[in-house]
Amino acid sequence: MSVAAASASEVQPQRSLFAADARFALLTALGLALFPLLLHPIGGYGGLATQILIVSIASIGFNLILGYAGMLSYGHAMFYGGGGYIAAILLVRFMATHPNLWLAVLGAMLVMAVLALLIGSLTVRLYGIYFALLTLAFAQMVYFVIEQGKDWTNGDDGIQTIPNALVALGPWNVDLTTPLPAIDLGPFGNLSDIKLWYIFAGLVLLAVLLFMRALNRSQFGEVLDAIRENEQRSVFVGFNASAYRLAAFTISGALTGLSGALRALYDGSIGVDAASIDRSGSFVVYTVVGGVQTLFGPVAGTGAIMFLENVLSAKTPAWRLIEGLIFVAVIVFFPRGLSTLFKRRETNPRALFRRMVRAATPVEPDPLLKPAPEAHRGGPSSIIETAKLGKWFGHFAAARDIDMRVDPGELRAVIGPNGAGKTTFFNLLAGTIPPTAGTIHYKGREVSRVSGTARVHLGIAKAFQTANIYTDQTVRQNCRLAALARVQGAFALQVFRRSTRLDDVDALAERAMRRLELMDVADVRAGDLSHGDKKRLDIAIALATQPQILLLDEPVAGMSKDEARKTEGLIRRLATEMTVLVIEHDMEMVMGISDSITVLHQGTVLATGTPEQIRNNPRVQEAYLGGHSEAELSHP
Amino acid sequence: MAALFQALLGGLVLGLIYVAIAVGLTIIFGTLRLVNFAHGAFYAIGAYVGLVVAERLGLVAGLIAAPIAVALFAFGLDRIVLQRFYEKDPTAQLLLTFGIALVVEESLRLIFGATTLQYPLPEALKGSAFLGPIEYPAYRLLFAGGVIVLLILVWLFIERTNYGLIVRAGIRDRVMVQLLGGNIRRASSVVFALGGAIAGLVGAAASPIYSVDPGTGFAFLVPSFVVVVVGGLGSFWGAVLGGLLIGELQSLTALLFPPAANVVIYLCMALVLLLRPQGLLGESEVIRQA
Repeated sequence: MSVAAASASEVQPQRSLFAADARFALLTALGLALFPLLLHPIGGYGGLATQILIVSIASIGFNLILGYAGMLSYGHAMFYGGGGYIAAILLVRFMATHPNLWLAVLGAMLVMAVLALLIGSLTVRLYGIYFALLTLAFAQMVYFVIEQGKDWTNGDDGIQTIPNALVALGPWNVDLTTPLPAIDLGPFGNLSDIKLWYIFAGLVLLAVLLFMRALNRSQFGEVLDAIRENEQRSVFVGFNASAYRLAAFTISGALTGLSGALRALYDGSIGVDAASIDRSGSFVVYTVVGGVQTLFGPVAGTGAIMFLENVLSAKTPAWRLIEGLIFVAVIVFFPRGLSTLFKRRETNPRALFRRMVRAATPVEPDPLLKPAPEAHRGGPSSIIETAKLGKWFGHFAAARDIDMRVDPGELRAVIGPNGAGKTTFFNLLAGTIPPTAGTIHYKGREVSRVSGTARVHLGIAKAFQTANIYTDQTVRQNCRLAALARVQGAFALQVFRRSTRLDDVDALAERAMRRLELMDVADVRAGDLSHGDKKRLDIAIALATQPQILLLDEPVAGMSKDEARKTEGLIRRLATEMTVLVIEHDMEMVMGISDSITVLHQGTVLATGTPEQIRNNPRVQEAYLGGHSEAELSHP
Repeated sequence: MAALFQALLGGLVLGLIYVAIAVGLTIIFGTLRLVNFAHGAFYAIGAYVGLVVAERLGLVAGLIAAPIAVALFAFGLDRIVLQRFYEKDPTAQLLLTFGIALVVEESLRLIFGATTLQYPLPEALKGSAFLGPIEYPAYRLLFAGGVIVLLILVWLFIERTNYGLIVRAGIRDRVMVQLLGGNIRRASSVVFALGGAIAGLVGAAASPIYSVDPGTGFAFLVPSFVVVVVGGLGSFWGAVLGGLLIGELQSLTALLFPPAANVVIYLCMALVLLLRPQGLLGESEVIRQA
């Protein structure tokens, strides 16, 4: 295939994307239409089908947090119960004469979104059991408020008479309790078993599924995946991880609230159970059994378990035990849920081929990618400067009184025996840890208290001592994520747009890969790379953020001699365009490539100078005895 | 005044149960880096086994049988299922142990029924003790004393034995312990069984005080987690301080404003987590690993 044909196929995804969406919607609608009929012969009934659809929406919302954000919430019943109560109260108190479903449901969603935003802003910084317990704690508080707010909620009695809300559609007010026409379908029951509610719930579920499908594929979903996989890397390519989690938590709360509101309206009543611990636990079970990180998993899990609850409970007292055993078996044997059993692997040969063609096409240098004008050697002002910088851990000074000045465009090596404080110093520069004393000025601006993420956006990027990459993503995707952070900023609520529509991102990523000579492995999973390639990928990720200063922590550690020399050459070339600070033990490299060298010893600066000066400095030689030999220092 | 004193004593008894469960959670976390959501199930199994054995062979037999049964169960659980999950992420471990707790709860419901059971104390233990102004059931005082002795033994185990050394080192740096060749695998099964046995023993001993139903495990687990978080995950004294604090808080709130008795501990935990996430006596590096 020629290049021209390849670029013609580039236009296609737009159109075929829409076709794919339409096909998805159609097939899902067909499935939903058949569902209550198929449920009938195995003992289900129309009402159960409607309930399953409604509760599925909550599970989908829950999966956004558990599956995609990777956090176990044990308090989602607060949004489910909360949404139900808000809708009920709105109808009972304010719309008793003209009960409008839209207003009640949207009101509930809005209030739950605000609640999730508030609670999320307090909780999303916590992990694992801490997040689970804190969400549980807030859920218990919501439960308490519902139980005690008797004037509004009737306390333990619940609200038993919610007015039948009508769906306003233009001039019509549709009553959802209307049954479908009576048509006998033989073994599949009678159509009149099904009420309009089922169709309405199905349409809402379909809309939610389309939304989640778009979200998963969007830039937002992509970043959320990245943060789940490697939060530290994500923060240091410039994503605000907490903001992404908070947004996910808020959307999740709103969806769960929607589900709770619909359920209350469908049932015509709501009790305090809807906000209980058991309810929170049920979302965990539904979602895990069906399959986290899958679109239909939560729906399948909700359907399967609710079916068991309603049908099996009549047949055997052991039904809950069976549920529990299924749950444990799924976790042990199918960690990604039952629905993945039927899922085929996602390999689209056409997309792969397009990528190969593109990879083989030379890319014109992008004007966007010109080196920053400041990055010229020997400018009048420093690019980064520290004064009296220090970091104490208790009584131990890992770094103290570090005064250092780096000129734009310089390639500065930071050396020193083990434990000299080199990595601590880099962590202070990158913002991984806050300093206990002193200041850091970047291009004349004080940045000591600026977060690591914000520093990436100012132009300070870091490659880690141990290659810090997204192991489950391709090399290209690794670099694209960093480029995405550069192009879109620390946070962007792009839940519909795909990042593939941003040309800058591909160009930046491509360029970073070329500079580190990773094009041959561009579509290889990063975890499968050789050690040297992983280290170079880490640098490429940092480079894709378009830094003005690149901090490289032992870039050639553990590499073979050949690989080290190759990487050394690449770093030397990078240094013609930006300032590079490099920690390295490989003295041959340090002496060979640096413009200047700073020696750290016992947490502070021992000497700074040209390689020649450092080599002949008696204090440096003394400090290094026992670490590196004199011979090592004197042979470049 | 007498009511207040009564509530304080009640809080002590309740708090000591929390301490015992929380200490088990903490040593298991320290050695296995596992947040065990199934720990409440150990308490419940202990309570049921203790009750059944005690009804036939007497209370002492029940108190011996319960920890042994739970230790065996925990040991098997660790070997068969949990060990596969040691290196998995914390969320997977939480989900798994949550599932195990579900299975245990439902098994208990099937075997013993959903009704609430309580072990009737033998006449000899039914007396009351007079403490200043109030009269208090003697068994509860005996129970409190027994749990305190048990906690001292656990503390000695952690501080004075080689297993305890592994536990303490594991709380600080699990990887280092493995690098040093500590047989963490065997140690972890033993510690897991021990943590379970403590919960089982306390469950059996408490069955004359607090009635048991299949949901009991979960009912005690959640406050015990609150205790661990408030005190600091991985800290023995944190568990003690947190347990007594939460027990008293719950008991006093039940006296002064009954409807808030359940929610007050969550309020307390939320405050601690927001102000001092590592817990009152916890070390800050632990929090990222949980």
